[in-house]
Amino acid sequence: MPGELPPAGATWSERRRRALADPAMRAAVAKSTRSLADKKEAAFAAYPAGEAMRKRAVIARRGSLARLDTLLDELTRQIEARGGHVSRAAGPADVGRYVLDVARQRGVGRVVKSKSMATEEIALNEQLEEAGLHVRETDLGEYIIQLAGERPAHILVPASHKTRQQVRTLFDEEATRCAVSPPTGDATAELTAFARRQLREDFLAADMGISGGNFLVAETGTLVLITNEGNGRMTTSLPRVHIAVVGIDKIVATWMDLHDLLQQPALSGTGQRLSTYTTFITGPRREGELDGPEEFHLVLLDNGRHELLGSEFEDVLACIRCGACLNVCPVFRTIGGQAYGSMYSGPIGVVLTPLLGGLDRAPELPKSACALCYACADACPMEIELPRHILALRRTEIERSMEPWTVRLTFELWGRFWANPAGFRFTGRMARLGQRIYMRDGRLQGAPGLVGGWTATRDAPPLARESFHEWWRRRRRASRAGT
Amino acid sequence: MTRHANAESPRGANGDAALVEEFVENWRGLDGDAWIASGGRDAVRRAIGEAVKAMVGDGEPETRRRALAWATADLASLELPGLLAEQGLDYVPWPSGSGGRGTADLPVATDDRDSGADVAGAEAAAPSSAGLQALAASSDLGITTCSWVVAETGTIALYATPATGRLPSLLPTAHLALVRPSQIVKTVADGLRLLADYMAQHGGPPSAVNLISGPSRSADIEGDLAVGVHGPRRAGVIIGDW
Repeated sequence: MPGELPPAGATWSERRRRALADPAMRAAVAKSTRSLADKKEAAFAAYPAGEAMRKRAVIARRGSLARLDTLLDELTRQIEARGGHVSRAAGPADVGRYVLDVARQRGVGRVVKSKSMATEEIALNEQLEEAGLHVRETDLGEYIIQLAGERPAHILVPASHKTRQQVRTLFDEEATRCAVSPPTGDATAELTAFARRQLREDFLAADMGISGGNFLVAETGTLVLITNEGNGRMTTSLPRVHIAVVGIDKIVATWMDLHDLLQQPALSGTGQRLSTYTTFITGPRREGELDGPEEFHLVLLDNGRHELLGSEFEDVLACIRCGACLNVCPVFRTIGGQAYGSMYSGPIGVVLTPLLGGLDRAPELPKSACALCYACADACPMEIELPRHILALRRTEIERSMEPWTVRLTFELWGRFWANPAGFRFTGRMARLGQRIYMRDGRLQGAPGLVGGWTATRDAPPLARESFHEWWRRRRRASRAGT
Repeated sequence: MTRHANAESPRGANGDAALVEEFVENWRGLDGDAWIASGGRDAVRRAIGEAVKAMVGDGEPETRRRALAWATADLASLELPGLLAEQGLDYVPWPSGSGGRGTADLPVATDDRDSGADVAGAEAAAPSSAGLQALAASSDLGITTCSWVVAETGTIALYATPATGRLPSLLPTAHLALVRPSQIVKTVADGLRLLADYMAQHGGPPSAVNLISGPSRSADIEGDLAVGVHGPRRAGVIIGDW
């Protein structure tokens, strides 16, 4: 059984149309992705040790996945031995039920959250808000997205599609709602100061903190949390109860595995050598400690992950959510994250969304949201074979006959003709015949059927008058005649 | 813990200078402040004075300034209360949970920043937590030591124990950490090996370990760097022996 993801909202063509009609968003996305991709490249260039660690980290990650079940048991034992609680959740409803149970038992009214893709995946905020809890996202980008009522547009920088003017408007509205003074201007420092002041109050008033997790270390039951803003530390240090919701794929066996992994999200994500705050959390506060949460809960989220173990897609579970594949993807750079209709966008989203949510949830992503340029394969620090997976998902879709018969017939005939030299030469001759009629101003226009549909939005350069084969044969004949 | 890191330090004194230089360069590159105090206890005390002036000097003049410091034996020899008073700061020690002073005799936070603190007051154990949080949040400076330091990433590591709480490095407007040169190692893996030694001795890691690389930052608005988002606006280190 695959897992369950929130619905995409609008249709693919509607989402795509909306994205292409938003030049401000597209400019912002183009700028932020290029900047992050450049920073990643510069970071590795200036730090050769980073590349050596990356190669070892891939091995560590794959090795841990190979014995995931054993490690989950060990992790659970370790956390429980230190006074923490562990729960396994098959899908969104299980997490919601568990969190709400804890909230009810502990009299929780206010929740602060640090950025977590796992909780986006299961729409946890909606579940908690429906039950009457006050939930506040505290990562600056997530806070902006929450105020805008949107979903994150990038794994790492969720509000990178917003301009500072749009952010200021959102903050002004929030200031009016809360009856506090608005930001003094739209400079980054002024906007940040407003968010800091507002969110500081939320942190100090919260009864429960919900975080995700970057890694889990099985041998000691340790949660590894990486942030730059410090909201992760606040969320896991101040409220009475801390609940971490983490995908089962985040587990590594030992601290030795972590040696090489720990810097990878920063190096590939933002080009830092290490994120500003890296926190290792092992259970709740101990006897004699005056700060830290009184209760620590870990919810291990499956949601379709376990099924990928042992499949051709297993390496997808090695993803560290750095966003490097998004930043180099020409499709992502053109349409931005929200057009994907999933919290996982870009190449990893094209693969992960149908794998976790079922191919019916997003058949359009493998089919249409990839140009097979392989830039993501080069960018992925965990060496996940994203293009191969995208092709495999396309194949599955075709095998399930989800394509219209015209498309299937065209490709079937194309395949037959091109399977032998005579057929290949024949199609070339026919195409050259055809282009005499439909070639205008140096490009193919108005041809019937699928060809016309293809060229309506793309330029097809004319075929040469003489094919390479013909030219080669003529040249050999001429040279033989000459000798 | 500092003793521990000293004892396990993998290099001789000759290696220290290069590591100090590398750490300071990387820490400053992350917008952290750094003072090198070579010359023993007096030099370190002088550097603390300079750091306080630089890091909390720009506050509003009418509010009383406060520094919240770990009350460890290691820091006691620096006689912080007198030193901070010279800079116009009240010294508040982090109350040690077991055996130390209780939370009852802590100074009460007096400004508006503690208004949200009593929301959690329904729970029996909560008031002391909320009071401590309000105290830390209304402090201008947190002073701590650290367990080890990574040169190539510009990182300091702090272990949470009863005497070395999490809040002084988190909630005050600025955080100042005292670093001994012998605590500096080259790589993150070197640091994690020191943590492994701690785990071997204590049967596991502390409840929380925080690796801190400069002041808090974000690039969430148009990719433009903002320093001081949720955590301390300024993060400083003083490197010296005392």
